[in-house]
Amino acid sequence: MSIQRIIGVMLLFFLSEGTLFYWLLPDSLVGRVVPHFTLAFVLFASLYRGRHTALVLGLAFGLLQDVVFYGRIIGVHSFAMGLVGYLTGLLMERKRSTLFMALTMIGISTLVYDTVVHYIYRVFRLTDLSYRWALLHHILPSLFLQVLFALVLYVPARRWFAGSIKKKSEDQEE
Amino acid sequence: MRNKRMFVLMLVFIVFVAVMGFSIRERKNLSWPENFILDSSAFVQQWIYRPAGYVAGLFKDLSNLRNVYEENEILRKTAAEYARASITYNRIEEDNARLKEELKFTQRQKELDNYQYIIAQVVAASNDPYNTTIRINLGSKDGIKPNMAVVTDKGLVGLTSRVDPFFSSVMPITDLDVNAPDTKAIAATVLGKENNSFGMIESYDKDTGKLTMSKIAENDPLAKGDTVITSGLGNVFPKGIVIGTVDSRQVGDFGLTNTATITPAADFDHLTDVFVVKVPESGADGQ
Repeated sequence: MSIQRIIGVMLLFFLSEGTLFYWLLPDSLVGRVVPHFTLAFVLFASLYRGRHTALVLGLAFGLLQDVVFYGRIIGVHSFAMGLVGYLTGLLMERKRSTLFMALTMIGISTLVYDTVVHYIYRVFRLTDLSYRWALLHHILPSLFLQVLFALVLYVPARRWFAGSIKKKSEDQEE
Repeated sequence: MRNKRMFVLMLVFIVFVAVMGFSIRERKNLSWPENFILDSSAFVQQWIYRPAGYVAGLFKDLSNLRNVYEENEILRKTAAEYARASITYNRIEEDNARLKEELKFTQRQKELDNYQYIIAQVVAASNDPYNTTIRINLGSKDGIKPNMAVVTDKGLVGLTSRVDPFFSSVMPITDLDVNAPDTKAIAATVLGKENNSFGMIESYDKDTGKLTMSKIAENDPLAKGDTVITSGLGNVFPKGIVIGTVDSRQVGDFGLTNTATITPAADFDHLTDVFVVKVPESGADGQ
């Protein structure tokens, strides 16, 4: 699958995050289980496409999230997603990743992402909540969802991203 | 090579801090790329959110089927009460209008309480726990401006924060925080004691799910179980919108004023229809 198609799929998942998925959650879990579907794609990109693709995808989709739900501040998700995508790519580029390795990396990266977002909100004094509370309240519950989502999408995502490399193997430099 | 990468990294970091700092302040108008993204995304989102809401609502209704008889009974009683109350209300309103005429109220003063409730559909809701923005399908083309109150039939939900041509963002009162740089306190009073009671709704505790009302005078008659409404002082928010009920009252931080804990009246999750309260132009400009 070409990168344009992947972006289309990511857009679909992004749109479902704030609409369809929101309705699938029961009232008690709203705000506790936070979907990071686009982040999962960014991380798949950093595992199978390299850090630069992940950086660009992360910055772009983070910015989209920031602007579409612009309530108080722009740039938090863009910064965090780009950073996490790039760092994961930097760590994992030389290694062959197995299913277990990929899931672990996605889990850790999501944790880092949520931590970065939390501390940016803390720096700008937009939240008073302690990290410990945030961890127990929404970061860990959403982590389960994220790993589950990555597990379900592992095989197709790997094929999509690997396929997009093969097609462009000659002029892959961007 | 190494140095260049470091330089780029620093530059990106600085740019991001600048963008965040810039975006955090009060902004009346958004730039056109923002408007474009906001409008086009909301346009697509509304085709997903509403059908999903209908389906979810259908399942909820099916499980509530047993309660329908009971609810019907209560509604019938309320309707009867309403009929009686509306007769009294009509008489009082006529009286009021006549008195205003006799006392030579100006047109502006007469229009002051004539709020318009415009119905809006929710098109999307943010999942970010630190920023639970809701998007509605009314925009500046419909006369919506920033800082208008948004309510449901139960009570105050939030304030419009960003307005683009066809859609706008609503900041729920669950995002209020007294320490935040973009904070907006809501002047509040108690239903039935409007002239004696005053306080500011300043923050929401995510831990307990309660609002905090502060700056309550010591001799204030506010007590547990009272209904808290907006006071309309300052002319920013219309008066008489239900916010919640008083849960408890404590002595404040410095001992001079009291604070109260308030249970919000409205549900903030899974909203479908909300009302934007439009204050008549002449009244709103007077602040």
